[in-house]
Amino acid sequence: MANVTFPYPFPEHLFALMPEMFVAVIAMALLLLDLFIARDKKATTAYIAIATCLTAAVLSVQAMMPEPIIAFYGFFVLDQFAVLAKVLICLGTAIGMILSINYMKDEANVGEYYVLMLFSMLGMMLMVSATNFITMYLGLELMALCIYVLVGYQRDLLRSNEAALKYFILGALSSCMLLYGVTFFYGVTGSFDFVTIGKGLATADSGAHTAIMLGLVFIIAGLGFKVSMAPFHMWTPDAYEGAPTPVTAFMSAAPKVAGFAIFIRILVDVMPAIQHEYTMILTGMAVLTMAVGNLAAIMQRNIKRMLAYSTIAHVGFVMLGLIAANDDGYAGIMVYLSIYLFMTMGAFGIIILMRRDGIHGEMLDDFAGLSRVRPGYALAMGLMLFSLAGIPFLGGFWAKYVVFMAAVEAGHLYLVLYALLFSAVGAFYYIRVVKYIYFDEEKVAFNFQESRLMQATVVVMTLAIVALGIYPDPLIDLCKHAVAGLI
Amino acid sequence: MIALSQYLIVAAALFSLGVIGLFLNRKNVINILMCIELMLLAVNINLVAFSHYQNDLAGQIFVFFVLTVAASEVAVGLAILVAYYRTRRSVETEDINSLQG
Repeated sequence: MANVTFPYPFPEHLFALMPEMFVAVIAMALLLLDLFIARDKKATTAYIAIATCLTAAVLSVQAMMPEPIIAFYGFFVLDQFAVLAKVLICLGTAIGMILSINYMKDEANVGEYYVLMLFSMLGMMLMVSATNFITMYLGLELMALCIYVLVGYQRDLLRSNEAALKYFILGALSSCMLLYGVTFFYGVTGSFDFVTIGKGLATADSGAHTAIMLGLVFIIAGLGFKVSMAPFHMWTPDAYEGAPTPVTAFMSAAPKVAGFAIFIRILVDVMPAIQHEYTMILTGMAVLTMAVGNLAAIMQRNIKRMLAYSTIAHVGFVMLGLIAANDDGYAGIMVYLSIYLFMTMGAFGIIILMRRDGIHGEMLDDFAGLSRVRPGYALAMGLMLFSLAGIPFLGGFWAKYVVFMAAVEAGHLYLVLYALLFSAVGAFYYIRVVKYIYFDEEKVAFNFQESRLMQATVVVMTLAIVALGIYPDPLIDLCKHAVAGLI
Repeated sequence: MIALSQYLIVAAALFSLGVIGLFLNRKNVINILMCIELMLLAVNINLVAFSHYQNDLAGQIFVFFVLTVAASEVAVGLAILVAYYRTRRSVETEDINSLQG
């Protein structure tokens, strides 16, 4: 018995998972620690959670090597692309938590709220490092299950419960579709590993064509649900409107980064052999997504719902990068998502600062005359909205520019012209809010939820948008560098 | 000997039943949870059938992950449903209509 060697050696390159292990341990410890924190000092939990997010971002950067690290027998990869996505995810989660402190302080069991956010961040971090459908599915579900609960966190509000229920049903449906698609790829190639499947699909015989197409359609539908591409976008407006506003801000940024990062990895590793087919499907969906997002947003009076449709519209623009399917397109997606993270979270930050009596600050009318009472908030909101509309020279302009140029280079000129048309339509409903802020008379007295930390965060995000608008080159170079290691 | 295609047809039938049930269901949210479970089981049948056919164990291992996640998914779903029932006093599908636009 003494000479028996344990058949499974200790996994190599365990340190590549350092950020994930750190987040998992802290999240579980925080769940216990929270029991000992007095009810009126729950902000402590939030500060620990925010520090965890930022530390995880630093750890991800430190664990990075010039070459991709494969850990856990090929189930996990840490390359520069994954690190970039992880830093964005951690940043988005941290900002989401900062926006939550004031908003959620009256909720019961608020400590668990931050723990759920940490676990959802952990799921996203695992997902962007997945090299295998098993790892990807587990990461995706960890993220999604936590977000379902976060959406329904205001348990005494009907709209929060209803949003959680709708989001849960459609989210579970999308996971089923994704899995069903994965089984067909497994049936054809006998593996769940992205690269092995990619090779298998390239050499598959023609009899497997139907199975491959079924797999492709179901996987794109499942992933499309998660990043809210039309026609799978129905959950987005309801979930965004009903969720607590900080959760909406979080949902509109971090899971989108994770979703698109894994989408890129799957397209690059799994589907190069069927590029013609997936380009056709994605083009159709992009055309629909841009139209639905921009046209439906015009009719909204509730600004959270309007921003939900605006998210769908932006997803449509981001999809041009997937369709371009070249380095510049993928780099453009990462540029777009980094800038979008600041724009959307900044806009939601202002909405949260305007909150009063539960829902004040969510209707367009609530913004009337803001410029006279709070010129600072009005300016920040105005800049965010102009940036979302893609007005030069703010961050949002470069986001669109990089993705559109990549699509033109790949030969999708008509699609880009169509996208330009709809960005012009989109500018209308963003600028309408600016009109309310600067030119309308005050309808209801303002009463702000002041918080120094939140104000500082919004200021930083506004400055980031302006700075990136003037000088976007470092970000673009960084994203190009990160994507170069992927292919 | 049962051919692979027959397993796939059963799984496809179960999956379609789940999808149809989810969209045509006009009665109760509990039914929706059952439909989701049905779809996941269809996925599992597919996985096991392909696993046997490919002579590869990974598919059967994935089934255990799917089962585990399905259990936690239903737990979360039922919890959300209970919270919803407390405020709305109903789990009828037709009553889920306060968010629209």
